[in-house]
Amino acid sequence: MLRYLIKRILMLIPVLLGVSLFVFLVLHLFTTDPAMNMLGQHGTNEQAEALRESMGLNDPIYVQFARFLSDLLHGDFGRSLMTRAPVLDEIFARFPATVELALAAIFIATVVGVTVGVISAVKQYSIFDYVSMIGALVGVSMPIFWLGLMMIILFSLTLGWLPVSGRIAVGMEPAHITGLYVLDSILTQDWESLKSALLHLIMPATALATTSMAIIARMTRSTMLEVIRQDYIRTARAKGLKESVVVYRHALRNALIPIITVIGLQLGVLMGGAVLTETVFGWPGVGSRLIDAIMASDYPMVQGTVIFIATVFVVVNLIVDLLYAWLDPRIKYS
Amino acid sequence: MRKRTLYVVLAVAMLALLLVGCGGGEKATSDEAKDKVFVFAQGADPRGLDPAFVDDGESAKIMVNVYDNLVRYKEGSTEIEPALAESWESNEDKTEWTFHLRQGVKFHDGTPFNAEAVKFNIDRQLEPNRTEAMPYASFVYGPVKSVEVIDEYTVKIILNNPYAPFLANMAMCMAAPIVSPTAVEKYGEDFIANPVGTGPFKFVKWDRGQSIELVANEEYWDGAPKLDKLIFKFVKENSVRASELMTGSIDAMDGVDPNDVKTLQDNGIKVAMNPGMNINYLAFFTNKEPFNNPLLRQAVSHAIDREAIVEHLYQGTADLANGPLPSFMPGYDKDLKPYEYNPEKAKELLAEAGYADGLKVTLLTYTNPRPYNSVGQKLAEAIQGDLQKVGITAEIKAWPWTEYKAIVSPEIVTEGDMMIYGWIGDNGDPDNFLTLLDSKEIAGSLNSAKYANPQVDQLLEQGRQEFDMAKRAEIYSELQKIVIEEAPWVFISHATAMTAERDNVVNFSLHPTGVVFFHNVDKK
Repeated sequence: MLRYLIKRILMLIPVLLGVSLFVFLVLHLFTTDPAMNMLGQHGTNEQAEALRESMGLNDPIYVQFARFLSDLLHGDFGRSLMTRAPVLDEIFARFPATVELALAAIFIATVVGVTVGVISAVKQYSIFDYVSMIGALVGVSMPIFWLGLMMIILFSLTLGWLPVSGRIAVGMEPAHITGLYVLDSILTQDWESLKSALLHLIMPATALATTSMAIIARMTRSTMLEVIRQDYIRTARAKGLKESVVVYRHALRNALIPIITVIGLQLGVLMGGAVLTETVFGWPGVGSRLIDAIMASDYPMVQGTVIFIATVFVVVNLIVDLLYAWLDPRIKYS
Repeated sequence: MRKRTLYVVLAVAMLALLLVGCGGGEKATSDEAKDKVFVFAQGADPRGLDPAFVDDGESAKIMVNVYDNLVRYKEGSTEIEPALAESWESNEDKTEWTFHLRQGVKFHDGTPFNAEAVKFNIDRQLEPNRTEAMPYASFVYGPVKSVEVIDEYTVKIILNNPYAPFLANMAMCMAAPIVSPTAVEKYGEDFIANPVGTGPFKFVKWDRGQSIELVANEEYWDGAPKLDKLIFKFVKENSVRASELMTGSIDAMDGVDPNDVKTLQDNGIKVAMNPGMNINYLAFFTNKEPFNNPLLRQAVSHAIDREAIVEHLYQGTADLANGPLPSFMPGYDKDLKPYEYNPEKAKELLAEAGYADGLKVTLLTYTNPRPYNSVGQKLAEAIQGDLQKVGITAEIKAWPWTEYKAIVSPEIVTEGDMMIYGWIGDNGDPDNFLTLLDSKEIAGSLNSAKYANPQVDQLLEQGRQEFDMAKRAEIYSELQKIVIEEAPWVFISHATAMTAERDNVVNFSLHPTGVVFFHNVDKK
């Protein structure tokens, strides 16, 4: 197990190196230089040239890449061209928001997805099964941007139940402990903030959860169907166990292992894929910052954010794999 | 398997209990006296809050409420009035300006405001301290030679030569605001996120991507603000911001989408239209074939139906331009007559210029909306349509803004014949707009039309050295007539700026420079 762990961690190195190279090349080959942009409307060509020189943009591309990598290894992601703040500081300032949103979304997706999937499987070919699987198909293909705006119109403007955007009502931020507002407000027993944070979470988390919810529901349904056909389930039924015991204690538990993998993968996807949701709901996470950076040709920021998201993605996947091994003793790694 | 799952559940439960346990007792008591909190929403975070290092409007909106300048704009206009300087005078040839400073003013960190502080602020943006990362230093302080401290509350600024826009520059929201010298030294590079000024509001905190919180400066020299707290909230989508306003979670916003105006008004929200300090124009590359021929430029000017374009594309969110200057600016001449729409005349001129059989040109444009052109590329398409009618085929080449700027700034633009561009005013001085036609600015890339006319250059120089506004207006009127005759630009429009506010908001108004001064804003 330990050898496997070390091997997996070492494998992260080429993956991240590849991501860094890819991001670097795309940004440097397919965008124009940002110097003019930084200078604003009074910028002259000479100033731009001086800026390019001082930023090292005139060096050959391999020199720039080497410098970029060496900075990365020293934990230096550079400074944002827009705000001049260290890239890593900006990412860390926003990362808790993205984590909170992704966790809330995965929670909703799992609870709803697994429940719907199990019922669909148990009542295969019923009306519930058809309706929910059509719903899942719609969910997979629903554009988040549109869905988000529709939700705002319905729940905020028409019904007035939920706040339109942001993470929490202004001035209600709980004391900073973990950066996750829900957790922080529970820790400090700040119930007002908790309520505000939860209300703000509902819409973006649900919108973000839609696709994963649908994927999890379909996955649960198919694995459940497979498991239900197995001999030991027939045996369990033959023993005269109650149907609920058969379904939940025997079938679901065994169907759960591949489902957990899917959930884990979805968590990684959600962390990186929150970009649109964050934009629609004004959620101050890493994703919405990435959009701003792309718009402003702020490429230290774009590079840093993409590499950061990629790292989170592979680390989450690694953890999922390890959990998987730990939960299912039949899986042996060498 | 069962055992393992059980362990996981137990561990999670224990952890949760433990965390709740150590949270312990004291709850923040937020319900003391009810603070008067005002929430203003804008589209994005500021780039930063050090006026020496930023150049964007989102930053300006916050900075003008944290800092003061030596002089400031009057409400609703770009005329100058005293601020941190109570009075000033200049020598005979207008190259030495002596400012008498307000006494007893303190920065938010307790540092006293005095002549040394002014000198510190200007010195850090003069050579050799000036860097490329200071976008406005050379614009605002370019004419400044040196700064002398006369006594504690008197400071003398020495210019290289007389420069009429100087006072207007000192009122600008970039480079000119006075920051606390001790804070700059204390925070170093991070001062950009920890602003300390003398303004009506003090900086409290910045939650990146979310909000900036300011509190009233009770000791403000011009009287304490009416609001206790001022919060800038950042909400990118225009329509989402409008929804926030309708649900009452914010009090006012800028950047209203024209499509949302009716909905907002139906919900009892006040929508205000303000003339904007900008110009949206079509520029010909006058330094090369074919548009080095003024006849051809005039032909195109006659061919474009500006009124129809402004009416249909901007739907009331922009005013037709009759020259380079917006109507509220000194030097604006309401009698100027730009080319009327006349396709027949356009065809005649085209024939006269030797293109009776038609002409093929390339029109460069940016794809995305800009503050002065909310429809982006559609403007180019409308112009293309008009030109087609007189036999000019315009091929459109378009880029996103950031790339566009790099493509159109060289002296000879190889890709095209004309371009769509615009300008956002900096300081409310007419020179700031007209200088875009200065032949010196061809190399500096501001002169997009690469237009050179010695007579215009001379009038510009004359205007910069004339301090009597009435006389300056005459000079500028003459200049604008020449420019209309020579037609390096087709003036299209000035975009109006829209703000929206809830009905209990008092004294809220958008200044022509695009910011809101919150000092006197109140909530009923």
